Amino acid sequence: MEVIVNHLFNYCNRRGLVLLISLLMSGSICLSQAAFGQEDSDYKNFEQFESALKSLVKAHSGLAAMESIGKTNSGREIWLLTIAKKSGTPVDQRPGLLVNANLEGDHLIGSEIALGSMKYLLSNYESDESIKKALDEHVFYFLPKINPDGAEKNFGGLSSGVKTNDTNYDGDNDGRMDEDGPDDLNGDGIITVMRVKDPNGLYMIDPDNPGLMKKSDPMKGEAGEYSVYWEGIDNDADGFINEDPTGGVDINRNFMHKYPYFKEDAGIHMASEKETRAVIDWIVKQRNVAIMLTFGESDNLISPPNSRGELSSDKGISMFDFADASFAGASKVGMVSTGRGYGMGRFMGMQFFRGSRSSTPEASSGRSSRPAREPATTVNKSDQELFNQFSKKYKEITGFESQPPLREPAGALFEYGYYQYGIPSLATPGWSMDIPKDTTLKEDRQGRQTSGRQSSARGAFSMRGASGMTGAGGSSGGGDGMDATALKWLKKNNSDGFVEWQSVSHPDFDDVEVGGFDPMAVTNPPADMISDLGEKHGEFMVYLSSLYADVKIAQTEVTSHGGGIFRIKAEIENAGFLPTAIQHGVTSRGVKPTMVQLGVDPDAIMSGSRKTNFIQKLDGSGKRQKYEWLIKGRSGDKIELKVVSQKGGSDSATIVLK
Amino acid sequence: MKTTVKYIISLALIIIGTSLCPTDASSQDYASDPQFKVKIDFNRWHDVHELYDDMRRLEKAYPEFLSMESVGKSYNGLDIMVMKINNPNTGNEMDKAAMHIEANIHGNEIQGGEVCLYTIWYLMENYGRIDKITKLVDERVFYIFPTVNPDGRQHYMEKEGGGARTGHVPVDDDNDGLYEEDPSNDLNGNGVIEQIRKYVPGEGNYRISRDDPRFMEPVPFGETGDYIMLGSEGIDDDKDGRVNEDGPGSYDPNRNWGSNWQPNYIQGGAMDYPFQLPETRALNDFLFAHPNIAGLQSYHNTGGMILRGPGAKTTGEYPRSDVSFYDELGKDGERMLPFYRYMVIWSGLYNVYGGSIDWSNDGLGIPSFSNELWSGSGQYFTSPELKEQAKDPNSPISRSKSRYFFDDHLEFGDQYVPWKTFDHPDYGEVEMGGRFKKHLGRLPPRFMNEELCHRNMAFTLYQADEMPMIELGETSVKKISGDVYRVWIDITNPKITPSIMAKAAQNNVVRPDLILLNGDVELISASWINDKATHDYTNPITSLIDQKDLKRLIIRNGHPGKTTRTLQYLVKGSGNISITYDSVKGGKVSTNVQLK
Repeated sequence: MEVIVNHLFNYCNRRGLVLLISLLMSGSICLSQAAFGQEDSDYKNFEQFESALKSLVKAHSGLAAMESIGKTNSGREIWLLTIAKKSGTPVDQRPGLLVNANLEGDHLIGSEIALGSMKYLLSNYESDESIKKALDEHVFYFLPKINPDGAEKNFGGLSSGVKTNDTNYDGDNDGRMDEDGPDDLNGDGIITVMRVKDPNGLYMIDPDNPGLMKKSDPMKGEAGEYSVYWEGIDNDADGFINEDPTGGVDINRNFMHKYPYFKEDAGIHMASEKETRAVIDWIVKQRNVAIMLTFGESDNLISPPNSRGELSSDKGISMFDFADASFAGASKVGMVSTGRGYGMGRFMGMQFFRGSRSSTPEASSGRSSRPAREPATTVNKSDQELFNQFSKKYKEITGFESQPPLREPAGALFEYGYYQYGIPSLATPGWSMDIPKDTTLKEDRQGRQTSGRQSSARGAFSMRGASGMTGAGGSSGGGDGMDATALKWLKKNNSDGFVEWQSVSHPDFDDVEVGGFDPMAVTNPPADMISDLGEKHGEFMVYLSSLYADVKIAQTEVTSHGGGIFRIKAEIENAGFLPTAIQHGVTSRGVKPTMVQLGVDPDAIMSGSRKTNFIQKLDGSGKRQKYEWLIKGRSGDKIELKVVSQKGGSDSATIVLK
Repeated sequence: MKTTVKYIISLALIIIGTSLCPTDASSQDYASDPQFKVKIDFNRWHDVHELYDDMRRLEKAYPEFLSMESVGKSYNGLDIMVMKINNPNTGNEMDKAAMHIEANIHGNEIQGGEVCLYTIWYLMENYGRIDKITKLVDERVFYIFPTVNPDGRQHYMEKEGGGARTGHVPVDDDNDGLYEEDPSNDLNGNGVIEQIRKYVPGEGNYRISRDDPRFMEPVPFGETGDYIMLGSEGIDDDKDGRVNEDGPGSYDPNRNWGSNWQPNYIQGGAMDYPFQLPETRALNDFLFAHPNIAGLQSYHNTGGMILRGPGAKTTGEYPRSDVSFYDELGKDGERMLPFYRYMVIWSGLYNVYGGSIDWSNDGLGIPSFSNELWSGSGQYFTSPELKEQAKDPNSPISRSKSRYFFDDHLEFGDQYVPWKTFDHPDYGEVEMGGRFKKHLGRLPPRFMNEELCHRNMAFTLYQADEMPMIELGETSVKKISGDVYRVWIDITNPKITPSIMAKAAQNNVVRPDLILLNGDVELISASWINDKATHDYTNPITSLIDQKDLKRLIIRNGHPGKTTRTLQYLVKGSGNISITYDSVKGGKVSTNVQLK
């Protein structure tokens, strides 16, 4: 791994040319002189990443600034980079794009793409008109490494896919902290899974794909032959393996939408973590953030929300789900349900007459009970077309078609962005597992159909509705799921990403093999893809910034009626593409209404509009809202009319009475 | 003659003594009963500073048991003070179950502060005097927070009472980009937001009521009156065309907690995320740092309710055993507080998302009640005869007039603010008045407050007494063969509260109880005995406790209330073993058993 060297920016390599061609094809004018050296193409630990950020800001001090929005438990800074031309409209008052990355500690690619995108914006500022306009008129905010403590755990020589930060957490609530983490039994520096011969096991080797495991189906006459665990030993001799590793909280499980209460990795409560609070505290002050783009293990860009407003896919690696399920019982050990206690408790007898007690919730006090409201959990119908458009453009720029392994979001930042903060909030893993449509796949598909399976690996992605919400253990695994796709993709692109099964000796079991997916390899693509991904996403970000609402006072008109009575007419226009608030921004009250205020004493207004007016939502593409005031005044008086929109900028006009 | 002299001398001594120590005079010379060390008024409302001053006086008088400390600062920089009550001679604070008592999270719901002050005072003044109180103070720890929203309380006390429910973190209520720029205005500075009427002889649409000159009434169609009504006191400070639309805060500190929290559009006043406010954060940090807290009371007003969670219907009812626990205490509470009803928040009151006692129950595993102090007009005229009379609209204590009658006859007009002329900046000469003072409605008449304090304290102390307390009872050892022994230990919780609530066990938020066996022996098995008395006759098969480490048993859902369980070990070895039951909320107790 190497620290970035700035002077290499001018060096043009093959990827630069590919980008240039793709940009020209997509209609942008790009006379790119920028491209990236291979030196950028490596995953950086915190120190390297931080110094890369610092050099970047130093090299572009007129356009980039860097500040810390908080510190982690381990004292690492959470860096915010603000990228904008500082002169002109105050940066805080311009619509902005917020880019988030690395909420899940193991999602290192997100940080690298964010860094690559920043470089793309900064080094092409002079040469690319659309970028210049974006930085002159708008602002880009980057939080490229939100969970550095979690990320750093994946740089310690052990690849284990740690997502959590450094907060102490007793995973199995047994009164002992972090007493049973993974152990690298085969010494390959990777924590994969173990399959253990077990006549009571739930799993079997997938006959179509001997590298993979599937859940055996008794209805098909399949016997379970294996149990699956994470690689490790039962350090605390409690009968479970790796049930309480070091740390912590997964920051992308700690936000307030669909928060998974009292679940492992989610923290003791919503926003319990320093990282989470740093992000929200910043964002709720920074109300000019108009679009959010989050890199992580969720997606609504490669596959936009479906017509019901639900996410279209969130398939994970079944093998990991099987291993996770092996210690699900650890946090339930010791529930006493037998024994004298319950039978003799004084409360048992009371059940007979509880019916007459007034404390049951159905009992009403006679007060009118307000109906319980439920928060929205699907994308508002009126906002769905927007997400389709974002997705279309994203796929056009990136060429992505198939998602890599993902998971169901719960407590995720990008969902907070839409459901509570009320703006278009986009999520992507930042890369794809596209497998060229070659003959091998066709044969495969035919093979599957004859063996009775319903969908191809590719087809499964667009059929999430059928597979439903796949939680842990939800998929049967094997050749019909994500595992097969990931295996195929890794064989072609990253052959080290799948560890062939090998026998190891184990203190707790006799017949143990270690193997399967490298957790980091199914979350992060090979490092040589980084710079290309950075450029593509940079281009997508510029596209996003061209869409903001743009609120203007389009027209004003004054008429004198004599006797000091004047009529003022004004039209407010949204010349941008997006509405001043998306529909859910109105519903959620996440976006303030656009204020139109006439600078007169309220008593001077005789009729017509009020002094202070609000527009909940003004659609884009030139939609206008009209106002008319009859006021008392004197010829020559100057009156200020102003319009302020959180997401669409502000404007003012001086009206002279005459 | 001699007696007279003696009398005069002693009188003089008393006068000298009193003048030397004007407060808290040692009253050994009086025959008054009882003789209190610290005298505090419970018939008036304390602002934050006087509340804390009284606490300091108590701390000074009872330094061994009381310690007062700040757990954090409010947004405006006032301390959030806790009074800790612990008898150090009976054990370490953290080893005893603690009762957490707080009040006034809504700034205008102040009398809970007096209840808290009364509780500290009562426990100290009666320690050594009343056996039950002595025992309670010896066995339990108390954390008492008379105000957890000092900004709100102080604002309520200093200002006219409006907008005091909230805390004081600035919020832009009217979306104009400005903060707190148009609060309510008490123009004449008398502490009341009054009605405004203007005298316009023969041109108005209101008149003074013929029934009662304190009332204004609209004139019937076709007639004219001498007054017009101009709304309430207040001005358009920011000249935006709206009056009093952006005062301090305007959120709800009791919707900023971590259980079933919902965003503002579902739950108004929730703020951006749980524990965002300095006050809720400080309090939650305190609760987390004190896992020994095994009971909680959060005093509110008003309505005469003993509330428990869940706050919202969508949360679903608590597990059956938890409901039974709450019912047990709640029903007794109704007997102790005759004007109060025991209710579930969402069904009895309304849906509350992100409320504090939902969080303490669900997220911290602390059984929690919230009393809504003072049941209002129902407590003015209480006999069945008077209640019947009040139904008659012509009665002087009818619904609309009862408060005026009460004010006239029992409070000598203290609460009603009569009409007075005032030179209004916008309306010229007007009259303002016609309202009751701010305390009316939510607070009891001052002379009734001591009873409110005592009854509510009594309920809370009852809960404190019923916090879990694990005891190890009878042990019995039976030799099976060779060096194999059967050991029985009775484990009892004589209190109503389980050592871990069922919901807490489901959520895994309380460290499980542990049963630790110490001794150089081999444990063959551990199991629960269903019925010790009949065991040797019926010889039932006991189920094995399926845990790997039998010397450290995990009891995840704790020990139920009012229950004895018998644990059986099959032990191979000899000599002494010790058995310890270690419960975060139920205490830590040990017993020794000799294998012979």
